[in-house]
Amino acid sequence: MSKTLTRRTMLKVASGGIAASFAAPAILRAQSTYPDRPISVVVPFDTGGYNDRLARAFAPFLQEAIGQPLTIINRGGGGALLGHSYFMQQPDDGYSILCTSAAPYMPLNILTQDAPFKLEDFHMINLPSRDYTLMATSSESDIKDIEDVITRLKADAGALSIGIQPASADLVNVMLFADANGIDRDGLRLVTYDGGGPARNATAGAVVDIGLVGGQGFIPLAEKVRPLLVFDDSARDGWTSPTVTELNGADAEFVAGSQRGWGVHASFVEKHPDRYQTLLSAIESASKDEATITSLKAQDLATDWIGPEASNKALAATARVMTQHIDLLKGT
Amino acid sequence: MGEPSQRRVVIWGHLLLLCVVAVVILAYWLDARGTSLKINNLLLVQPAAIFGLILVALVLPQVFPKVPREDVPDAAQRRKELLEVGRVALLAGAFGIFVFSLETIGFDIATFVFVAVGLYLCGEKKLWVVGTYSAVFSVLVVYGYQALVPYPFPLTIL
Amino acid sequence: MLDFSALDGAYSILTSSWSAWLWLIPGLVIGLVFGAMPGISITMAMAIFLPITLYMDFLPAIVFLTSIYTGAGFGGSVPAVLMNIPGTSSAVATTFDGYPMARSGRHNQALGVALASSVMGTLSSYVLLLFLIVPVSIIVLKLGPLEMFVIAVWGLLLLGSLAGSSVWRGLLAGIFGVLLGTIGMNTAGFIRGTMGVPWLLDGIPAIPAMMGLLAASQLLNLINTTYLIENEDDRKISFAKIIDGVKLTFKSPIIIFRGATIGVVIGAIPGVGSSISNLISYSETKRNAPDGDSFGTGNPKGVIAAESANSSSEGGAMATMLALGIPGGGATAILLAAFAMHNIIGGPQFIAQNRDIVYAIIFSNFAQAILLLIVGMGFVYLAASIVRVPLRFLIPSVLVVSTFGSYAILGSLAGPITLFVFAILGWAMVRYDYPVAATVVGLLLGSLLEQNIIRTWQISRGDLGYLLERPGAILILVVMIASIAFTALSKRRRKITSSVTDPAES
Repeated sequence: MSKTLTRRTMLKVASGGIAASFAAPAILRAQSTYPDRPISVVVPFDTGGYNDRLARAFAPFLQEAIGQPLTIINRGGGGALLGHSYFMQQPDDGYSILCTSAAPYMPLNILTQDAPFKLEDFHMINLPSRDYTLMATSSESDIKDIEDVITRLKADAGALSIGIQPASADLVNVMLFADANGIDRDGLRLVTYDGGGPARNATAGAVVDIGLVGGQGFIPLAEKVRPLLVFDDSARDGWTSPTVTELNGADAEFVAGSQRGWGVHASFVEKHPDRYQTLLSAIESASKDEATITSLKAQDLATDWIGPEASNKALAATARVMTQHIDLLKGT
Repeated sequence: MGEPSQRRVVIWGHLLLLCVVAVVILAYWLDARGTSLKINNLLLVQPAAIFGLILVALVLPQVFPKVPREDVPDAAQRRKELLEVGRVALLAGAFGIFVFSLETIGFDIATFVFVAVGLYLCGEKKLWVVGTYSAVFSVLVVYGYQALVPYPFPLTIL
Repeated sequence: MLDFSALDGAYSILTSSWSAWLWLIPGLVIGLVFGAMPGISITMAMAIFLPITLYMDFLPAIVFLTSIYTGAGFGGSVPAVLMNIPGTSSAVATTFDGYPMARSGRHNQALGVALASSVMGTLSSYVLLLFLIVPVSIIVLKLGPLEMFVIAVWGLLLLGSLAGSSVWRGLLAGIFGVLLGTIGMNTAGFIRGTMGVPWLLDGIPAIPAMMGLLAASQLLNLINTTYLIENEDDRKISFAKIIDGVKLTFKSPIIIFRGATIGVVIGAIPGVGSSISNLISYSETKRNAPDGDSFGTGNPKGVIAAESANSSSEGGAMATMLALGIPGGGATAILLAAFAMHNIIGGPQFIAQNRDIVYAIIFSNFAQAILLLIVGMGFVYLAASIVRVPLRFLIPSVLVVSTFGSYAILGSLAGPITLFVFAILGWAMVRYDYPVAATVVGLLLGSLLEQNIIRTWQISRGDLGYLLERPGAILILVVMIASIAFTALSKRRRKITSSVTDPAES
């Protein structure tokens, strides 16, 4: 922070404000081509959550690439069910796009909440953020490592209290973990939390003995927790604990965590292939833009380009595993 | 207080309210039991529902109070009261129609119509005042909220 | 506890760019306006202005956003006092005495009291924060479900004092609210009472329901009245009387201090914070006040208790955010995002490494609180003119604004429908002498009670010995019971003395 400024700062602020509020299209197109009016971004969560922040942080870069302003519409509630249903009711003309945690919420909406849509009704353009379940304990806890956890739970499945979200990928993972290591899954002492945040706080504060929650959210609390097991096939985010494939072999069963990013109506891809191409290349170029990467990295938001093929495949795979364990997802 | 100077009355509105409360509690309790009988589901809801129904039973006698004979409302009093409740009911009805028509006829038209009707019901009889105020207010509130809120409001004219 | 080299660092940050301070007043005004509009949350206001801060330097960005936070925190009290509309759940207790004050022509004082208590609450919470930020953050993580359950029960004690003419009706109203508050998907994943309506999965939308019960129901009844304040001479708007209210506030330093302490400690709990703290502060003050019986009929002390607690919750929420990197609610999540945009990452290491920034934020909040007194005075003066509008204009207009506000919360008809249903329910309850406030309190606390009693049961497996493992919960219980016992004792003593000295007093 330098000591000069005043006029310069004011100018910068003023121009920034104007840029932000009016978002002048950078590329002028003929009126008839897509898009010739603002595009709505539906976020099926309230303001302040990961998807909301992702949408708002990515929007300036995407609107520059596509040449029209973006309007963010938050439709939170019902575990994204309300927002996903709302999005499906919007016309499939490419003027409504979706920024969501496709997994686990879409499969959950469909499997447990009688959603008025199918997974095939959505088409994911890019799901750059791929979370994973992390099993952790408080840094003050006497639990040393994952072997310690297994020994204690084998002797008495109710020996440790486990902080977890009901109807989540994490719950499926803890059950698969129990099965793979000879622990009685019905005897586990599960303590249910309504969100990842409260479950993480309970873990860090040693209110529960261990917690299984999305790992990326644990990063700010890294000092307060000891990682025990990463539910993925390779090390993530510098956690020093083993991965589930190191523990139970390369074919160990687990579910990936939240997969977040951008999607459209599947029918839009068929009806308007030309518009779809325009949108696809805009998202691709915005995702790969250096300025985007710097800005989003600073906010701990993902911007890697995975592409539609890999994104849809990963989502379908998660949905498949969740379908196999549907009985676990309906109340604990 | 001698018995003949008092009379038992039924407060019908109170009875209706109490019935609604009882039915809601009972229906909720049964629905919760229908979902699952696990403690994780019923730990608070079941005891609270039972307690609530007991309280309904305790309040029930108050629906049939004994009132001194001279306090029993006569026909004129009753008519006045009915008129007052009637005005509230009219306004509430208009409000209900307004709420349920918002998305079908648009926030702008619904607001204009409801403010106009509301103004008239509340006693403003000058039609030009009703019209002007409703129009100006609708425009202000629609544009105001639209500027502040990250949702679109379904509109027809504005 | 104070780190002097960091204080020096804070000073140089704050003086590095005078232009940053230009953002204070716009931030406060934006916050006040957004906060005073029913249904527009602090989070929404901050989310809308977050993108602009991307182009600012760090200090102006943070000054601007925290000013919005401070302004919006008070903004919600204005409709609570004037129209009985709690724009947020943290302004519920403000309506209990603020609105009766306004109805009896003391709207100027009520607003002055609310403003001054908010300013004092904010100030004292940040003073406390300066010393307590580290211990508070440690306590917050240690709070388990049993402690939370006890705190929720503490909030529920308020039901006793809201009962009104019939204890049974009061309890029924409260328990009905608790039950309604648990509708939807519970913490263990069971879905009850939604009747297949998807938006009820998250429960009954609390803010539209409160606006319906407290405000819309009143408006329907007012159709038979011409002005909010019956007496024409009382309908004046006067700076002198607003300042009277401000002065009145300073005569109750104990209430402010109690409110601020409750606000900081409970406000620091992620998620629940400010919506409970104002209730507990109100009920504690009412129980301890010699004139406790006049609470609910327009006693300024009720407003002081509520406002000092809800405004100091801001400081508590900031403590959790700064010390742990945990956003207690949407507003602090936005602040964390703003930090991140400037490459400052929240978390336990943040406070150790950036103590100068933490102090700078605290000091800039001092400035905000003091400026709020001035800006707020003007704002309140303008807002008070609402009492001069004839009710025939006010009733439909406020119903419309409440409807727009409840639509804005969820972006669907769910809000307006809830508003309508609860307006009718509230009207009927008031007509037959049920305390609607008890239902509101139940509604607010219902899911909190359920979540935490279920979690306690899950952890303890029903073993009562678990209580002994939680000294925190025992401590809270002891404080609560001691406080009740103390009040009962001193009330008895007062009764004895007053019956001796002044038998005529009832």
